[in-house]
Order: sequence, then C-alpha cells, then structure tokens
Amino acid sequence: MLRYALTRGALLIAGLLVSSVVIFLTLRVLPGDVAQLIAGTQASPETVEALRESLGLNQPLIVQYLGWIGGVFRGDLGTSQLSGTSVSAELLEKSRVTVPLGLIAMTIALLIAVPFGIISALLRGRAGGTAMSVGAQAIAAVPVIWAGMILVVVFAHWLGWLPAQGFPRSGWAIPAKAFESLLLPALTIGLVEGAMLMRFVRSATLQAAGEDFVRTAAAKGLTRRQALVQHGIPAVGLSIVTVLGLQVAGIIVGSVVIEQLFTLPGIGRMLVADVGTRDLIKVQSELLVLTGFVLVIGFVVDLVHHAIDPRQREAA
Amino acid sequence: MHSFTTARRSARLAAIALLAAGALVLTACAGSSPEPTPTATGKSDPDATLTVGLVLEPTNLDIRHTSGAALEQILVDNIYEGLVTRTQDNEITDRLASAHEISPDGLTYTFTLNEGITFHDGAALTSADVVASYQTVKSDATVQGNAEFAGVTAITAPDPTTVVITLAQPEQNFLFTLTGPAGLVFKKGDTTDLKTAENGTGPFVLKRWAKGSAITFDRFGEYWGDAATVGEVVFQYIPDFTAGVNAALDGSVDVLTAVDPNLVSQLEDSGEFRITTGRTTDKATLAFNNAKAPLNDVKVREALRLAIDHEALVEAVGAGQTQFGPIPELDPGYEDLSDLVPYDPAKAKALLKEAGHEKLDLTLTIPSFYGTTVAQVLISDFAKVGVSLEVNRVEFATWLEDVYTNHDYELSFVLHVEPRDFGNWANPDYYFNYDNAEVQKLYAQSQAEIDPDKSADLLAKAARIVSEDHAADWLYTGETLTALIPGVSGFPEDSINSRINLAGVTKTAD
Repeated sequence: MLRYALTRGALLIAGLLVSSVVIFLTLRVLPGDVAQLIAGTQASPETVEALRESLGLNQPLIVQYLGWIGGVFRGDLGTSQLSGTSVSAELLEKSRVTVPLGLIAMTIALLIAVPFGIISALLRGRAGGTAMSVGAQAIAAVPVIWAGMILVVVFAHWLGWLPAQGFPRSGWAIPAKAFESLLLPALTIGLVEGAMLMRFVRSATLQAAGEDFVRTAAAKGLTRRQALVQHGIPAVGLSIVTVLGLQVAGIIVGSVVIEQLFTLPGIGRMLVADVGTRDLIKVQSELLVLTGFVLVIGFVVDLVHHAIDPRQREAA
Repeated sequence: MHSFTTARRSARLAAIALLAAGALVLTACAGSSPEPTPTATGKSDPDATLTVGLVLEPTNLDIRHTSGAALEQILVDNIYEGLVTRTQDNEITDRLASAHEISPDGLTYTFTLNEGITFHDGAALTSADVVASYQTVKSDATVQGNAEFAGVTAITAPDPTTVVITLAQPEQNFLFTLTGPAGLVFKKGDTTDLKTAENGTGPFVLKRWAKGSAITFDRFGEYWGDAATVGEVVFQYIPDFTAGVNAALDGSVDVLTAVDPNLVSQLEDSGEFRITTGRTTDKATLAFNNAKAPLNDVKVREALRLAIDHEALVEAVGAGQTQFGPIPELDPGYEDLSDLVPYDPAKAKALLKEAGHEKLDLTLTIPSFYGTTVAQVLISDFAKVGVSLEVNRVEFATWLEDVYTNHDYELSFVLHVEPRDFGNWANPDYYFNYDNAEVQKLYAQSQAEIDPDKSADLLAKAARIVSEDHAADWLYTGETLTALIPGVSGFPEDSINSRINLAGVTKTAD
C-alpha cells in the first residue's frame, strides 16, 4: 500500500510539473501583453517599454518560468501584474463563491443521479426506464450555458422566485441571501452533471446485476430485484466515488461558464477576466491550482479505491 | 484609450439578449408605454446610499500608472483632484486651484491654490505636493501623461499656495492635459499602495473594493469644499448588458449607466426610470490601414466611405450622431463635414472600378466586446458595392498587439473615447499609418497657437484635410444612455463614460 501511494504520489508531482510547463508555454503563445493594456493607446512606446521592464516581461522565458515556479514551491503563488494583489489571497476570496457553488451543484447532481439511476436500472426494459434513460441522455447533451438561460427565464423572469444574477455585496454575511443567489447557477450545473452521472449509475447498476455475487444471492432465494438492491448497489457506490472525482473537473469547467452567465464573482469569472487582460502570472497560478486540485482528487480517489477494493490490492 | 463601457456584450450571451428582445416585443405589443413617473418630491437624504451600475470594472486603482476610462470615470474629482478639471461640456475649470493665469507668451502657467485642502489621511496640501506630483509625471516614463509633459521645463513653488509651470513652447492642450490623470495631485512622499488604496483630496474616500463585484465610496467628512450630498456611493459592476437591465428592474441599482440602446425600452416600459441621453467624445472609428494595399489607394477609401449609409447605421446602433471628420462636436475644431461623403453606393462602385477592384475582399478586425451591430451593417453596405467583408473578432489584448502595435490589419473598428485626440492623425507612427505633412504642420501650429479660437480654426482646417484624404471613416459619435430612478437628481449626463462627478448628486429618502 505504501509503495503504491509513493509511486502514485511521484506521478502526481510529475503531472503537476508537466502541467506547469504546458500552462506557462501555452499562455506565452497569446498575443498581447499586460504592459500595453496598462499603458493604453495614448502611451508612447517608451512608456510601454518602461512598464514592460518594471513588470519583468522582457526577461527570457526560462527566467520568468523559474521565477514563477520557484515561488510556487515556496508557497507563493505570485502577485498580479495588474492589481498588485496576492494571487493566493484573491483565489481564497473567490473560492468563497466557487467552492459552495461546486458543492451545491455536486449535491444536486447526486440527488438526481443516484435515485434515478438506480430506478431506471430497475425498470430496465419498461417504458418508464426507457423514458428516464432517454431523458437523461437529452439533458446531458444540453450545453450548460443553454440550460442556465432556460432556468433564468423560467425561475427568475416568469416565476420570479430566484435572483437572475449577482452575489450579495456583503458576501456570506446573510447566508440565506448568498445561498439563494447560488441556487440557480448550482441547479444549472447540477442538472447537467447529474444527468451524465445518472447514466453512469444506471449502467453500473446494470453491470452489477450481471455479477456473480448478485446471481448467487438470487440463487439463495432472493428475488432478482432484492438481490440487486441488497448486494449489487453497495458495490456500485465504489465506482460512483471514482466518477465523482472526474465530475469535479466538469464542475470546474461548468463554473467558468456559469459564473459569467450569472455574474458571480468566483474563480471562473476571475480566470476569464485575467486571460482577457493578460495578467499571466495570475492566470498561470490559478490554472496550476485548479489542475492540482483535479490531480489531487484523482490521487485520493485512487488511494481510496486501492484501499477498499481487494482486487486492486492483489494486483499491486 | 478605448471604452469597454459602451459595447461590452459577450457573444456567448447574445442568445439571452435575443430572448430578452423577444420578451420586449411581446410587452411592446401590449400597448403604449405608461407615462413616466413624475420626479419624487421627497426631501433629499444627506446620508443616502447611491448605487450606480457600471459595465467595466477597473483592473486596479492606480490611476498614475494604469490607463482606462473605467478608472478615470470613478476616481477623478471624486477621490483625486487636480489643479483644474473639466465640466460635462469639456470646458476647463479650476478645482484645487482657486485661479490660474497664463502668461501672454503662453509659456508660464501660474496657479493659486485654494485654502484648507487636506488629504484623506489628514495632512494639509501645499504647493510642494503639487510640484512633487508633477515632477514624477515629468520624470517617470511609466506614469500616465509622461509624454504630454515633454514640453515642461520647470515646475516650481514660490510659496505654499502658488505653483508655477513653465513650458519650452506654447501648448494649447497643456491645460486640458492637466484635467486628466497627469494633473492629479498626490501627497509628496506618500507610501500608500495606490493599486489597492488611495490618499486623495476629493469629497469621497474609498471604503471597500470587492473585486469582481463592487467598489464603495464614503463621504469624506473633512472635505475642503462643499460636502458630498450623499453619504455613500456603491459602484456595482455588471459586465453584461441584460444582467444590468435585470438589476435595475429588480431595484438593486439606483442608476444604470451605459444602457444598451436595444434594451432601453424595457426600462422605459417599466415606468420606473428616467432615461437621459448624454453626449460624448467617443468616435466610433472605422480605421483604414492607409499604408497597406488596397487601402493605400484614396479611391478605395473614398468608395468605402460612400458605401456606408451613416444615418441607417446610427439607427441600427440605437444611439449616436453622425460624424464625418476626426473631430467630434464637443471638441475644439469641430466642423460639419457631411458634404464630403454623402451616401452614394453607385459612385462607390464606379470608384472601385476605376481603382481596378470590381470585387474586393477585406478583413475587419474588431475587439470582441463591441457586439455585432456595426459589423453586420458594414457587411451588408459593403456587399452592395461588391466588397465582401470578413469579420475577425479578437480579444482586446490581441487587438492591441496585432492592430495597434504591429499595424497588421486592413480595417479595424474601435471607439476612441479620448477627448481632443486629433494628434493621432498628425502622428505617422500611429496605427492608422496616416502620413500627411500638411496635417502635421497644421496640428503643430494649432498647438503652438495661444489664442484658443485661432487654434480651433487650424484644427478644423487639418480635420478637413484628414477627412478629404478619407484616412478613416467616422461611423458615429457615441451617445451614452443612463437610467435613473426618480429619487436621484443631479447625476451628470454628458461624458460620463470618462467622468462621473458625484459631488452634487442627491437621493431622496424612500
């Protein structure tokens, strides 16, 4: 187990290093720089050059990279070239919107996926099961942005139940208000992610139905359905954990789009704005943190899986 | 400098605008719009909180180093002050200075300071602060306005209330430069981190900035002049137009600036808002790359201008005035040049044929936040004369690199919001690639001319030449729409995308 964790951990660090290089180089391909943006179009070329120098933009790429990644290793995500504020402080502030958004979305996704996935598997071959499965497929195919617009029109414009945009200025000072403003965006992501997850739960349940231990249970006198519910579904839980890890990436991507649509001051919107203004040090660190987050979740999922699933343990 | 404020519409959100427009059509069918609510008669509340909805949030608060209308709009006159400032009509008036005097030779500017001015940290302002501020502008190339201070030879303070600035040669625009960021006064030796904090002299102090959401100002109790008439101002940043209208309709803002003309009737129909139309110096400029074939041929440029139906374009955009030369109405040197390019597609076609381009493919590079209306009108107008237009939408940073810095473009569209920026046409290195010795000479003369009227005449002459050369097309002068709830009065109307002076704004108690 320890050997597995160490190997897997080394892979994680290697993955992060490779990502950092890829992130760094990809951003350098973008045309335009922050110095020109700060200086504006009335500035003389000398002004822009002076700014570029003071921001360290005319140093060789390798120096810039090492300066950045060295800082990250010391726990310093850097300072925004534009606003002069600490990147980690701002990430922390924005995560107060994005993390709850993700958690609520995830909860909604699970509340949809698990019961409906199992029911639709149990109803396999019947009209109800087919309808559910087709419906899930349709919802899963809907782009998050479109789902969001529909929900805004229905719940904010027609029914007037929920705010269509924004986050309270006071943040979480009035939790109910903050929660309210996150509900519609979270519902948007949760519905789409939930529909995808539901199809997974369904097929995992169906697969479990074909496993030997379910058949054995059935042979012992349980009905097929009882056997599935009592023995099959607990086994499904494990694979849901794995997929849930992958869903995190989907929710992060979803939040980028959704935060734009609902004007939420979260990480996703910050990222889009920072790319637009070429605040590269900030974008680099933000992307690295997000990548790291997804990689770490994958790492944890793998470890948990390895610890629980006897088959994997033997394989190692 | 370019305004993001007037046309920042994410293409991704165009669809929702369409939905809203659909709803709009339905409501419009429901009958004529109700009478606007009469202005509330309630007494103004000196401690009211005024919430103003804006489109573009500044990236930081350091107005010394960062350009951009978003920053000037809220900071100048409210937080920071200069010796002089400008009115909504772009007239220059004294601010920190109680009076100013220009020597007859136009070389020496003498300012007398008002009394009792203090910085927000309590320190008294003296002429030494002014001298230090302006010397920084003069000597530090990264400070805004550094280039405009090139002609300054000396900045001195003969006594604590007098500042004397000496120029090498007369400069008609110098005083106007002082109304911008270059003229703002900062405390000498201040260590405040200007990116996130401030220490100005204005009627408001910065209370809080929640990035990505809102900036809050409080009234400065010890302000040297008339105290602000509201207790608190919240600038609420809402980057999407439709979301802004939603925020106004659900009562979360008192004032909504930069209302999309296509959405304004939604606010009007609610009967809860008063809409003002403000003049600006925003020049919606269709730039031609004057150095690149086929646009280096004046016949091609003229043909393109003749092919554009400017009246129809203004109507499609929804707000604005036609403009046929480089100088807008609010700036000195304005002249009606509409006779130069009357809408004439037949003549345009003939000119293109003469130039050997019966069929022509051109590319328009346009920053993505400008919406699609202008590009669509141009595509259809140009198609009628055999020019097919490909639209290349790019991020603003990309536009800056490709078009502005590298001059790699054919046609470009951008709103030039800076007032009195005719100098760009006298600068052959500017991205227009327009090089005319006569224009450069006239512009230099206009700047060296001491008499403002004569200077304006020279500018008008130069502007006519630029338009006759068809160096670009000026699609329209922008107008800015503002929606206000009836309880708000005194809110500025004109030029508010570069300056929102909140000093006299009042709001009634609910």
